[in-house]
Amino acid sequence: MNLATTDETRSSLTDLPVPAVDADPHEQDVPWRHRHVLDVDVLSAADLELVMRTADAMREVLGRPIAKVPALRGSNVTILFYEASTRTRVSFEVAAKNLSADVVNIAAATSSVAKGESLVDTIRTVEALGARMLVMRHSVSGAPYLAAEVFGGSVLNGGDGWHAHPTQALLDLYTMRQRLPGGSVEGRKVVILGDVLHSRVARSNIWSLTASGADLWLCGPSTLLRGFEAWAARGAAAGRRFHVTSSVDEALRDADVVMALRIQKERMASGLLPSLREYAARFGLTRERLALARPDALVMHPGPMNEGVEIASDVAVSAQSVITDQVTNGVAIRMALLYLLAGVRDGG
Amino acid sequence: MAVDVRAAAGEVGRILAELDLSAVWAVDPGAGREGPADLVIRDGTIESVTWLEGADADGIEPNGVVVAPGFIDLHVHLREPGNEDAETVASGLAAAAHGGFTTVCTMPNTDPALDEPGVLALVRAAAAASGSPVELLAYGAVTAGRKGEQLAALGELGDAGVVGFSDDGAPVRSATILRNALAYAGSAGLPVVDHAEDASATDGAEANDGFVATVLGLRGWPASAEASAVARDLAILADVVRDVPGAHLHLTHLSTARALDLVRGAKAAGLPVTCDVTPHHLAFTDEWLAGARRWAWDGSGDPWGDNAIEAQPFDPSLRVNPPLRSVEDAGAVLAALLDGTADAVATDHAPHTEVDKAVEFGYAANGISGIETALGLLLAAVDAGRLPLARAIAALTSGPRAVLGSRSRRERPGLTEGAAADLVVFDRSDRWTVGADGLLSRGKNSPVLGRTLSGRVLLTVAGGRIAYEAAEG
Repeated sequence: MNLATTDETRSSLTDLPVPAVDADPHEQDVPWRHRHVLDVDVLSAADLELVMRTADAMREVLGRPIAKVPALRGSNVTILFYEASTRTRVSFEVAAKNLSADVVNIAAATSSVAKGESLVDTIRTVEALGARMLVMRHSVSGAPYLAAEVFGGSVLNGGDGWHAHPTQALLDLYTMRQRLPGGSVEGRKVVILGDVLHSRVARSNIWSLTASGADLWLCGPSTLLRGFEAWAARGAAAGRRFHVTSSVDEALRDADVVMALRIQKERMASGLLPSLREYAARFGLTRERLALARPDALVMHPGPMNEGVEIASDVAVSAQSVITDQVTNGVAIRMALLYLLAGVRDGG
Repeated sequence: MAVDVRAAAGEVGRILAELDLSAVWAVDPGAGREGPADLVIRDGTIESVTWLEGADADGIEPNGVVVAPGFIDLHVHLREPGNEDAETVASGLAAAAHGGFTTVCTMPNTDPALDEPGVLALVRAAAAASGSPVELLAYGAVTAGRKGEQLAALGELGDAGVVGFSDDGAPVRSATILRNALAYAGSAGLPVVDHAEDASATDGAEANDGFVATVLGLRGWPASAEASAVARDLAILADVVRDVPGAHLHLTHLSTARALDLVRGAKAAGLPVTCDVTPHHLAFTDEWLAGARRWAWDGSGDPWGDNAIEAQPFDPSLRVNPPLRSVEDAGAVLAALLDGTADAVATDHAPHTEVDKAVEFGYAANGISGIETALGLLLAAVDAGRLPLARAIAALTSGPRAVLGSRSRRERPGLTEGAAADLVVFDRSDRWTVGADGLLSRGKNSPVLGRTLSGRVLLTVAGGRIAYEAAEG
C-alpha cells in the first residue's frame, strides 16, 4: 500500500479531470476506479486529489440558493446504521438528497446475530428493495467488507468499529487544506489528541494524512495508544512516518492543527483510565495548552464533543475552531463520494 | 509415479483385500526409517515391506507417492451431540479419513458436555453406526458441564475409556481445580489437556495483539495471555508430580514463542509435559486478517508495506482461538516442531455452520475446519524447505502416539509386516484445489478454500479397513 506521494505523481495531479457535477455521473470521464469506499488505505494520492476537487465542486453547489443537482435522480441510497449516530447519518442523508437520490434510512438493532436477521440477509433484503448504494455504520470492525462481498452496488463505510471512518478522514483533510495557509497539509504538524486506541477517526486519518505528507503526531494516555508505537515504526520504514507520545506539551508545541477525540465513559470501567477528571486535567484541550501551538492553529473535533473533558468549551467555540466547517465540509465530501461511486458503478 | 490405488476398490469400512504399492516412498517414523519401498497388503494385513536399495531404488523420490502410518489427531471437535449442523461423528470421521487420519481424539465440549460415561457411550454408538474404521477416542471434561467448578466423573470416565481430560474451548481457570485434576487423573495414568489462556487478559479479544490488529482496529489478544497460563500450569504440574509421579500435562494448540520456550525449559527440567501445535498456527499469520495470503515463512509482518494484500481483510474463517499470531510466533511454532518441543501437530478441527461463520468478524465463532487440509499445510512447509518430510510425518504419527501412550485400543506398529494395515497413501505431485464441495466435513470454514495444496490423499486404511479412497480423476 505504498501511498507515499512522489514528486512525479504530484505533478500529474494538476491536470486531473474534475467532474462537472451538474451532469450525469455516468457521462463523466474521471479516473475513479473504486466500487466501494471502505477505508482510505487503498486511495492513491490521485484519488485523494480527485475527491478533494469534486468536493470543491460540491461546495459550490452548497452555496447556491437551491443546493441541489440531479446527479443521482432515481437512484436509491440506503443508509443502514447499526450504531447510534446523528451527525454522520444526517450528513449522509443531506448529501444524498442534494444529489436528488431517493433515500431510505434504516436504524438496525445492534445485536443482529443474537436477536434476528444476519447482516448478510439484511444486505440482500435492502438490495432486493432497490438499494443501489449502501451507506453503512457498524460497531464491529470490518463489517462493511462483509457487506461489500454480498451487495451488488456500492458500499460506503460510515464508520466500522475501531477500524475506519473514511468520510471523516476525507472531510478532515479537506477542512485542513481549506483553512491552512497554502492549501496543503504537507509538512504541517497535525496532532490527534485523545483516545486513539478506540478511534476509527484516528486510524483513517493516519492513512490520509501520512499519504498527504503531514507531520502527524498521536498523543494520549499510554493505555489509549496501545500498539501505535509499533505502527509508527512500520510506517517510518515505509515512508509514512508519524509520531506517538504521551507528552501533551511535546505534541502541541508549534502544532498547526489539533484534533481532539471523544473520550468515552466506559474507558474507566475497563481500567484504561483512572477518571474523567484526571483525563481532563492531563489531556484536555484547554486554552492554556492550546497556547503551545501556533497562534493560528486550527482546532478540530469529529464530534460529538464532551465539553469540559477532552476539549474546553471556550476552545471549541474559539476563532481557531473549525468544528462547524467540518460539519459543512462533511456534506460536500459525502456528495463527492456518492457522485464518484455512482459514475463507476454503472459506467464500468 | 502412478499408483493405482483403485485396484483396491471397495467401500468405506470394507477390509482392504489386496493392494500392492510398488516403488513408493515410505516413511515410518516409529522405525526411524524412510526411503523407497514396496508394500504388499492382503486381507487388511501388511504382508510384506521391502525397503529398496541400489538400482531398485533409482528414480524413486520423496516428492511423488508417499505411504506413511495413519495419522493421529490429538485434538478435534466432532460437535455431536448437540451441534450436528456443524458436524456429526460420521461426517467428522469421513473428513478425518480424507485428511489421512486413522485416529482422532474428540474434545468434550459437546452439548451436553462429555462429562459422564453416558455421553461417551452416545458418541461411540454414533461412531459405530457410521461404519467408519477410523478410531474415535474421546476426552472427558475436567469439570462437570465444563463449568470450571466441580470435577467431572474423572474416575468413571477413565474406566469407560477416555484418553484424558480437557475443558477445551476454555482453560481450566481455577488453579485448585487444575491441581486436583492433574493429581486425580495422573493416578489413573491419564493426562489433563489444557487450553492455556488467561481469560482475564483476553476478554472480548479478536486478533493477535500486534501491528495488524492495531491497524485493523481489532481488539488485541496478547501473547502473554498464553505464556502466563502456561507458566501457571507448569508451576502447578511441578507441585503435583512430587505427590503423583504419573501426572501428565498436555498443552494443546500452543501458538506463541514465549509459551513454547516455557515448555522447552520444563521438558529440559524433566517435567511430564507434552504439547501440540496446529497446522494453522504454523502456516498462517495475522497478516492473513489484513488480506495477505502468503505462508507464514514468507511473511514480514507488514503486508501493507510489502503490497502483499491480495484478498479482502476481516475474513471470518480466520477467527480462531488462540488467534493467528505474528510471523515471529509462527516461526517459533515451526522451530518447536523441528526441535521436538512440540510433540505433535494436532488440527483443532473446529467445524462451524455458515450461520455462525458468515457474519461480522467480531461475531464469528472461533475455529477452523482443518482436518482435511492439515497435511497440505504441512507439505507447504516441506515444499518450501522449512520442514523435513519425515519430521512432518512424525508429528502426525509417532509424536501423537507417544503422547497417547497405550490408551489407543489399537496396536500401532507402523509399517510393519504382519500388522493390520493402518496407513495413508498420498501423492505429493498431485495438487488439489480445496473446495467447499470437496470437503467431507460439514464445516466449510476453511481459510484455504480455493487454494491449491500439494499431496492429495489417495487412500486411507484404518485397522485394515478402507477409510477413504480418492474418486476417479
